[in-house]
Amino acid sequence: MQEFLQQVLSGIASGGIFASLALALVLIYNAMGLINFAQGEMAMFATFIAFLLLDRGVSYWIAFPLTLAVAFAGGILIQRIVIRPLERAPVLTLVIVTIGLATLINGVAGFVFGYVPRSFPSPFSVQTVNVFGAFTSYRDLGVIAVSAVVLVLIYLLLQRTTIGLAMRAAAHNPEASRLLGVRVSWMLALGWGLASAVGAVSGIMVAPIVLLEPNMMQTIIIYAFAAAVLGGIESPLGAVVGGVIVGVAVNLAGAYLVSGDLELAVALAIIVAVLVLKPNGLFGRPSVRRV
Amino acid sequence: MLARLRSAPPRYWLVVIVMVFFVGLPTVISSFQSSEWALVLVFAIVIMGLNILVGYSGQLSLGHGALMAIGAYTTAILVHRYHLDYLATIPIAGLVAGAVGFLLGIPALRLSPLYLALATFALAVVTPSLIKRPDKITGGVQGILLLPPQPPQFASDAYATVTSGPAMTSEQWLYYLTLAIAAVLFWVAWNIVRHRPGRALRALRDGEVAAAASGVNIAFFKTVAFGISALYAGVAGSLYGLATGFVSPDTFPVSLSLQLLVGAVIGGLASIPGPLLGGIFTFWLPIESSQFVSSQTWLPSQVSSVFVRAGPSVTYGALLILIMIFARNGVVGLINSGYTWLRRRLRGAGDRGTGQMPPDPQTT
Amino acid sequence: MPLLELNGVRAGYGPTQVLHGVSIAVGEGDIVSLLGANGAGKTTTLRAITGGVHWDGAITFSGRSLHHTSTEDIVRGGIAHVPEGRGILTDLTVDENLQLGAHLRRDGAVVRKDYDRVFEYFPILRERRRLSASTLSGGEQQMLALARALLMRPRLMLLDEPSLGLAPMIVKAIFNIIRAINQTDGVAVLLVEQNARLALELSTQAYVLEVGRIAVKGASAELIGNDSVRRSYLGY
Repeated sequence: MQEFLQQVLSGIASGGIFASLALALVLIYNAMGLINFAQGEMAMFATFIAFLLLDRGVSYWIAFPLTLAVAFAGGILIQRIVIRPLERAPVLTLVIVTIGLATLINGVAGFVFGYVPRSFPSPFSVQTVNVFGAFTSYRDLGVIAVSAVVLVLIYLLLQRTTIGLAMRAAAHNPEASRLLGVRVSWMLALGWGLASAVGAVSGIMVAPIVLLEPNMMQTIIIYAFAAAVLGGIESPLGAVVGGVIVGVAVNLAGAYLVSGDLELAVALAIIVAVLVLKPNGLFGRPSVRRV
Repeated sequence: MLARLRSAPPRYWLVVIVMVFFVGLPTVISSFQSSEWALVLVFAIVIMGLNILVGYSGQLSLGHGALMAIGAYTTAILVHRYHLDYLATIPIAGLVAGAVGFLLGIPALRLSPLYLALATFALAVVTPSLIKRPDKITGGVQGILLLPPQPPQFASDAYATVTSGPAMTSEQWLYYLTLAIAAVLFWVAWNIVRHRPGRALRALRDGEVAAAASGVNIAFFKTVAFGISALYAGVAGSLYGLATGFVSPDTFPVSLSLQLLVGAVIGGLASIPGPLLGGIFTFWLPIESSQFVSSQTWLPSQVSSVFVRAGPSVTYGALLILIMIFARNGVVGLINSGYTWLRRRLRGAGDRGTGQMPPDPQTT
Repeated sequence: MPLLELNGVRAGYGPTQVLHGVSIAVGEGDIVSLLGANGAGKTTTLRAITGGVHWDGAITFSGRSLHHTSTEDIVRGGIAHVPEGRGILTDLTVDENLQLGAHLRRDGAVVRKDYDRVFEYFPILRERRRLSASTLSGGEQQMLALARALLMRPRLMLLDEPSLGLAPMIVKAIFNIIRAINQTDGVAVLLVEQNARLALELSTQAYVLEVGRIAVKGASAELIGNDSVRRSYLGY
């Protein structure tokens, strides 16, 4: 039982990481109706930026928000330069572009930083601590806490501020929003910036565990896909819940059912199962297509 | 008969010329180079399948590398463990991959195309580890070695008489086998596109709701399209394994699926000749980019060394983005629009603003 | 100088031209109606003003040309446009829709007063405040759209067929409120309507659009009284 609890807690920590990346995917899906296949690579690159800052001696709790700011700016830049020219293009064209972006960013990261895995510090010690009789590490608890804070902040931003309202309006109905004076194009850019920053959180949290290298997010993104699909690709709440469920499920599966390298297959199985059984996910709405 | 020849549209002549070129090619290049060109044709087959899917039904697959792996391993296992005749395994490989594609397609295709992209991407990432596991059958990490098949008697006799030279090598034989299969699959793809299924597919791509309203059974067509596309990949994978003589979990990584996508895009989605260009590109770019760039003496050495070190990923990524922005229909699309522009110029600008729908790319 | 002026405006969608030279003037605080049959180009005219369709010619608002200005900026300049279909954001609540009406304003105290007025005009909106806008009926959505436009405190309101699909009693109520808004706040109104009689009763000036051209224009009172105009152009 103890062991089970430990696996669950550890799964929730991974879940926080998946949830952050999944939330980034959901933000962009809500804004543009497309899945950003480059989200993981953007997060990886941001984590490298964090690494550079830390290497220069910047303290962790300054480098962290600084990196998020850089990621935010980067997301806006990408939207302005690469996505905006294709505003009227069909969705699949944009998806292909995000794949190109992912390949490009991965290649640039490999070129600039090399492929040797590096260790990345965590501000939380790996020391174990006793929680309700189960042993978990400060690091896992820290990941859960940081993820929770970020997710709550995003929620507050989107639901309780005017600019969040404008972003949601622009994503939901750009034409009507324009007629209300909303600068739709900039709201989209903001959405990308926000998504990029949230994704960066996931990268920074996972780097201490898997070691920092250009391909580090390639499996994480699959888990994030599973989380987003499970939660409902349009629902930020779904991303969070989906992330936790995927994290726990994969962890438990890895501990009791299958061996480590098949955990990814569990993610694929979740994706297929959701698509077969409840395609809209747990919190998604069945979409009505406007004829 | 002569009149019919003369009135045949330029398209047919192009096809004939290309066929002649490819049939004659092995006679003028080395045997090793023939095997390279065989791989080009292999990629062309996959891209043909991708085209049927993407260009004509608007669905995107990021997992065709994995489907190739399924085909390759089917052949490898059947030949290596069960000693089946390799020729028989080729269609089997296609069917197995096609079945997997069809099954995967059933849930994913009822929904937005994004879900298929997502699911196939996950498939591409997961497949290498899935292959490693049952290592009794698949040979695990070490993979399976295949003996190169010897050319059958009739083929080497024919070759010998034509070239009056050395006997046909197995590489050349595999080249011709691949060429023959590619030609057949090309012909099939062409017909799918031209006739009712093709029109249904294009209707799907252009407007699902309208297509549904006019009685096209969408889900069925989409799933079938994906199944066919997967079948092509499976056959291609089988040929790949036979041509290279070796399959392992790492032979078909995620990057291959992406390279195929790039090849399809460059060649031109929704075009018939595109796959050939795409296959050429997919095969040669990783090899040639470094050599090509370093040989450009006009580039300062710092620039070219940066380019070489950066590797194909950067090139692929940048190319994908640029092509989508500037030349969405790839090279073939560019040629087509160039051709139309030229014709209009020569004929005089008589037909502006008639409000006609632009013709489908392949019916020019 | 009129608040809004269209001069020789041509507009269309791709190869199809809809407007062939339309000239309209709306003065400060005026109510002007734009009438005509289906397909005459009334909606296109409104869309041209707020930049929803490509146009040629001249459109000036408050003396400044609207050419090459984005929709958002035109709206921010003081024009509220309630489009065909009302443009309600159905994923959001009634309150959030209203907030979007006021989101550009800086005068907090006046905004609160405007909210009170809005709920006075349309008490049902206060009741349904926290509910999703998709739960509103057609008439209620029209009220929401109008309330939202009011909260924008525009100098000019473009209303596209506010009576469409609504019960006569509700239409009457809405038209009374439009009149009230116009009289209290001095908001000019350009009203596109198929219900010509109601529109003529509300407005001071009227234009009749026929196949993309202005066929008749004049004071509404005159047009009501002119039998032949009524019968040939207004259908009653």
